[in-house]
Amino acid sequence: MNILEVNEVSKAFGKQVILDGVNFHVPEHSVFGFLGQNGAGKTTTMKIILGLLQADQGVVMVNGERVTYGQTKTNRYIGYLPDVPEFYGYMKPLEYLALCGEITGMKKNECKLRTEELLDLVGLEKANKKIAGFSRGMKQRLGIAQALLSEPKLLVCDEPTSALDPIGRKEILDILYKVKDKTTVMFSTHILSDVERICDNIALIHQGKIQMQGDLVTIKTNHAKEGIEIEFSKIEDLKRFQKEAKDLANVFKGKEDSPLAIELKASNMNELSKVSLQILAQNDIVPVKFMCVKPTLEDLFMEIVKE
Amino acid sequence: MKAYIAFTKKEWLESIRTYRFFILLAVFFIIGIMNPITAKITPELLSSLATEGITITIPEPTAMDSWLQFYKNVPQMGLIVLVIMFSGGMTGECSKGTFVNMVTKGLKRSTIILSKFTMSVCMWTISLALCFMISTYYTAYYWNIDGLEQILQSVACLWLFGVFLIAILLLMGAIVRSNYACLLLVGGVVVTLFLINMVPRLQEFNPIRLTSGNMSLITSEMAIADFVYSISITIILTVLSLLGAIMVFNKKKL
Repeated sequence: MNILEVNEVSKAFGKQVILDGVNFHVPEHSVFGFLGQNGAGKTTTMKIILGLLQADQGVVMVNGERVTYGQTKTNRYIGYLPDVPEFYGYMKPLEYLALCGEITGMKKNECKLRTEELLDLVGLEKANKKIAGFSRGMKQRLGIAQALLSEPKLLVCDEPTSALDPIGRKEILDILYKVKDKTTVMFSTHILSDVERICDNIALIHQGKIQMQGDLVTIKTNHAKEGIEIEFSKIEDLKRFQKEAKDLANVFKGKEDSPLAIELKASNMNELSKVSLQILAQNDIVPVKFMCVKPTLEDLFMEIVKE
Repeated sequence: MKAYIAFTKKEWLESIRTYRFFILLAVFFIIGIMNPITAKITPELLSSLATEGITITIPEPTAMDSWLQFYKNVPQMGLIVLVIMFSGGMTGECSKGTFVNMVTKGLKRSTIILSKFTMSVCMWTISLALCFMISTYYTAYYWNIDGLEQILQSVACLWLFGVFLIAILLLMGAIVRSNYACLLLVGGVVVTLFLINMVPRLQEFNPIRLTSGNMSLITSEMAIADFVYSISITIILTVLSLLGAIMVFNKKKL
């Protein structure tokens, strides 16, 4: 079952079209990565899901219920972590979570137990000081704790790791991965390694549209072309090879960082390697390096964004 | 209801921890002490200024002078401080983004408005009561208190005007995003009311009478019956402002 379905959602701010018929869905109990460049419309989409912004067109369904703007009943299924979570600085974490609990109508005992459990999970159990004195990373953790307080079916995180140092990032990702069994996690990011680390499913938004979506593994095998990288010892060798292999590969480029290497890409990997090796042998070229390159999400991302 | 209590408690905690309530109390405490004292010492101050050859005759100050000070200082200084103190309540949270967590937790937006209204009115009531009690005590100490009934009626009018201002503040805070714009709009409303007051026929209906007619009530130039229209209009406007604030806030981007 899909916990979240976004159908044909469009949104424009004045003349600037941000979302142009966005479609995607998030299956239950998965970690869903929502990818896109800065300004691609990730936050706008999330705000529409939460009913904080009104979509010009389209329907958003959370747990089978339609999201309405303003009074948002569907928010009881969602825990939300804004990109920069803001708290009442004069409160301590326990007080803040108690307030959140009371607002969602939790029982006092239940709330207290859950609060302790969550502060433990996010590693803030000892931070008994006012939130005003918290670092960015601590606020992000508290943000996750408040989002998870009411045991939501869907946890929506807007760029939870973007502003953090590598250790902080890893810790936040670990937390998100940990809660996957209990809830569905949707998070937006432009950090691809984060996605590769924990996501099952992804959607990539570019120029107001979803350019690809689905299972991360399938996407990688289907979309990206595999390739080989060859590094030569002399520039003459490289030129000779290039001349011979002109018709061979459909993506053919020199590498920016090393002038003696080139990268070849084709849909048929076996054929490509075989013929390249033949050319090398026939022309008596001995390369320094001959390597198969696996597609990365970055290549995919670049491919789509550059188009 | 539970959410309403929770959010009102949060408003209380905020006022305490950000010292807003203490500042308000301090200002009203000072005004309270100042009123009778200014009335008492003004003649002495003036006569000490008089040099030889000039005689200034000043009538002996009375309790009326003390109340005159009260109804001058509270509407002027007191209400301005009140408005400034509460002006950031809506706009501040909107621009900072602290509402987002609350609203996405299912807190109704109307609850936010009503909680803020409740707490602001409570603080205004306590501050005004403090100021009034101090003034009354010292006025009674220096002179005497006559016509307590009229005095209470007149302070009640003033209180109602403060409540009205708080409702207007919430409405404007829901409409605009900036603190200054909010202050400007509230100021605009008050100025408009003063302008309307220039038409004699409308004076009777104008909420501004609640802050300008207080002395006439004490000196029995006017009776509370003369305030009925003004009071009714003010109550209606207060309720409408609150409803308006809820409606506007329901549609506001957070």
